[in-house]
Amino acid sequence: MRLVRSLAAASLFVSATCLLAATGIFPYPYVQEDLPNGLRLITIPTDYPNIVSLYIVVGAGSRNEVEPGKTGFAHLFEHLMFRGTAEYPPAKYTATLQSAGAASNAFTSSDLTAFHTTFSKEDLPTILSMEADRFQHLDYTEAVFKTETLAVLGEYNKDSADPAEQLWETLSATGFKVHPYSHTTMGFLRDVQAMPEGYDYSREFFSRYYRPEYTTIIVTGDVDPKRVRSLVDERWGNWKRGSFKAQIPAEPPQDGPRRAHVDWQSETTPQITVAWRGPAYSDDTMDTVALDAISHLGYDQNSPLYQKLVVEEQKVETLGADAPGNLDPEFFQVNAHVKDAKDLALVEAQVRATAQAFADKPVEAKKLEALKQHQRYDFALQLDNSEAIASTVAGYVALRRTPETINRYYDMYAKLTPADIQRVARKYLIDKNLDVVTLTTKGAAK
Amino acid sequence: MTQPSVWSRPLACALAFLACATVCNAQPRVVELPGKSPLVTIRLVFTTGAASEPADKPGVASLTAQMLSNSGTKTLTYKQITDALYPMATGISAYSDKEMTTFVGQTHIDNLEKFYALMRDAVLNPGWRPEDFTRVRDDQVTALRVGLRGNNDEELGKEALYNAIYAGHPYGHEDLGTVASLQKMTVADLEAFHRRHYTQANLIIGLAGGYPAGFAARVKKDFAALPAGPADHLDLPPPAALTHNQATIIEKDTRSVAWSFGFPIALKRGDPDFAALLVAESWLGQHRDSSGELYSRMRELRGLNYGDYAYIEYFPNGMFQFEPDPNIARHQQIFQIWIRPVETPNAVFALRLAMYELDKLVKNGVPPAEFEKTRSFLSKYVNILTKTKSAELGYAVDSEYYGMPEYNEYLKAALAKLTVDDVNRAVKKYLHADRLQVIGVAKDAAAIKAALVSAAATPIQYNSAKPQDILDEDKTVGVWPLGLKPEDVQIVPVTSVFENM
Repeated sequence: MRLVRSLAAASLFVSATCLLAATGIFPYPYVQEDLPNGLRLITIPTDYPNIVSLYIVVGAGSRNEVEPGKTGFAHLFEHLMFRGTAEYPPAKYTATLQSAGAASNAFTSSDLTAFHTTFSKEDLPTILSMEADRFQHLDYTEAVFKTETLAVLGEYNKDSADPAEQLWETLSATGFKVHPYSHTTMGFLRDVQAMPEGYDYSREFFSRYYRPEYTTIIVTGDVDPKRVRSLVDERWGNWKRGSFKAQIPAEPPQDGPRRAHVDWQSETTPQITVAWRGPAYSDDTMDTVALDAISHLGYDQNSPLYQKLVVEEQKVETLGADAPGNLDPEFFQVNAHVKDAKDLALVEAQVRATAQAFADKPVEAKKLEALKQHQRYDFALQLDNSEAIASTVAGYVALRRTPETINRYYDMYAKLTPADIQRVARKYLIDKNLDVVTLTTKGAAK
Repeated sequence: MTQPSVWSRPLACALAFLACATVCNAQPRVVELPGKSPLVTIRLVFTTGAASEPADKPGVASLTAQMLSNSGTKTLTYKQITDALYPMATGISAYSDKEMTTFVGQTHIDNLEKFYALMRDAVLNPGWRPEDFTRVRDDQVTALRVGLRGNNDEELGKEALYNAIYAGHPYGHEDLGTVASLQKMTVADLEAFHRRHYTQANLIIGLAGGYPAGFAARVKKDFAALPAGPADHLDLPPPAALTHNQATIIEKDTRSVAWSFGFPIALKRGDPDFAALLVAESWLGQHRDSSGELYSRMRELRGLNYGDYAYIEYFPNGMFQFEPDPNIARHQQIFQIWIRPVETPNAVFALRLAMYELDKLVKNGVPPAEFEKTRSFLSKYVNILTKTKSAELGYAVDSEYYGMPEYNEYLKAALAKLTVDDVNRAVKKYLHADRLQVIGVAKDAAAIKAALVSAAATPIQYNSAKPQDILDEDKTVGVWPLGLKPEDVQIVPVTSVFENM
């Protein structure tokens, strides 16, 4: 639900511990502070009792894997970070989490690696201290490193049964030739299989990115911000700032449509992804929110295309679209599971015609208003516990390192007009930017 | 933790499941968790499911639930419902298990009236349109053939394990049904199931969040439109006991080998030994957690795969979620070990190692120091299981069904009273390392079978040096008896699984 702004955006960055009032769609007041070493701390007290959720976001994901043959290392670190330190060997680390009744895990995306733990509030000092230790003093032998690379291969193996993973891998490699978005977070299989020989590189990767200036700590739940700041000063204040600046190669503009096909080895539904190269995330232009609006208006369950293909003609089982929201330009993509492979071409044509319609004429203002209402409620429904709040904030922090990103994004949405949508569709959803990937069971008609 | 206020709960129906032959409780039971949250959760749980299906209609309970939640009503088309739900950013989801069929929706308080009206009519006044039926039925066939059989080796193995253990039993078929059964099903079959099983006596209404005073009474009154009874009565026989290990290899073109194995246990939530066996389960293999023995010995020390876990309650979709869904309560459960996909050369070693670890637990029990840590973990972790109002409400509904106290307080109290001896007595009573039903999903099933039935060792292959104690243990594990003769291992092509009745 939308709240009235009560503070000017200019007061976003503060050095003293004081709660910033809720100033937009994000309903929780929060404290955002930078330590002298560059570490950022965001504390968000919530009204959910007893539980605290801690998200530590490192601004390095598969986007940062720029060396050939080294794809998958950001994700490998998600694993290695559980391999212990001198003070907390793995067994002690696990036992400490266990006695706290904590739920702990991590995930990696193109732009970030996030480590999260949810636990009872009395264990906050222990958990913050233990996390500070592993971020500063991670220590693992080459033998341990090699064993962990096998767990990563195991993860690749369990994912490999899902054709959607292969479709995504192929789309990435088709649309990107230079930028690291050309590979998935898991990395290429050949690189995963070669990981056991990458011990020295892993130390280098850690030294580059596991630094305070790349890291944001988010604490939500039953907490006192002053107490959190004091604990973080005590254990994280001596963490040494690094100097590495990632040089991410830019992808040159696409020069025409590209296509690829995946032969799947077992029984599956034919699938198609129709994608266009889109922009990087932005909350000071309309590009990001306009493409998001197209993804919903064009391809959501109540859209004319969904109703035609899924509900009336029943040629398609699932249809949906994703808009780009990454640090660098990414795909606007539409995915469909098609009942019969002979309909793949027809579905592609209709997906593209739907995109073209946004360029040809402005959408109805009434439909856009219904979407804006949907988006506001959708956001409110996400925030039903402290962990969900931290997780939501983490996604935006990966982009701009502040929860204010959420307010800026939804403010832009509120201002979005049918003319903006038309202009953005004309700019990005054009044949020059098109990438199409299909997937069918080997031997089936394409 | 808010204590659920339960009203209209006749004492005679505390064990409704066992006692109600016909109409025991003609009124729906209501479980309330009122609060200040602007989000309201509604759970409509019918105590019916796959175990109540006619023998020739496997899948009808699940398909009925999907039809109600994904179709038009008497007055609105599916398109009109979709359009009405869209600005509220919500929907009605449904799932059906052996004994429960659940409809769940969450809405912002601003939209409660509009949303509730749609949810109510979906369940009370379905439209039964043929075009909706075709779409929903095709989706369910795809979920079986592609979602389960084609794209998810681990869930396939886990579901196949349940079906093997419960062969010939009311639990003995997949909740989604079979491809053949679904393709023969008609709208009339669904209507008949709806008429017979969507009764007030089978209904538990769950409400949580900031709904207004009087809302619960109104919901209860609305659902008085359902037939009063009867309540489902399940006379569940004990599942057939194995005399020795049995294995099925599902042959499929896949990169690695997925294993699941287990056996039935005569223990469910609310029973006196439940907390004791839960400690043993958590110590051996807490779901998706690095604290378990299986995880430590198989993944961390040996790098065999992505993880290995143990269960004493049904937990579908474990590869996608950290906490189980509520409202899949069952009066019969199995003990299960889930081994995530293993590279083929180490596949049989991994199975042997999991059996070896289970054998160690059965013989030696949980060590006293580990007992204390695990108990402490579970006492706090239960807060995380119920961290959302929707989950808390789901657990409260389950407690109502099982006839037991609110889960969070129940478990904390039971854990507080436990001793390590209680745990290890429960281990001896309920667990064993033989008479196992084993399911594998593998590409070269014949080669796996040959290794399973051979007396030859299956040593592990490493890519790095290991401590001597691990290497010594590996020698024992590499020849750990699997107890399988050629006639105990069957190979089935994946395309035959869930295909026919």
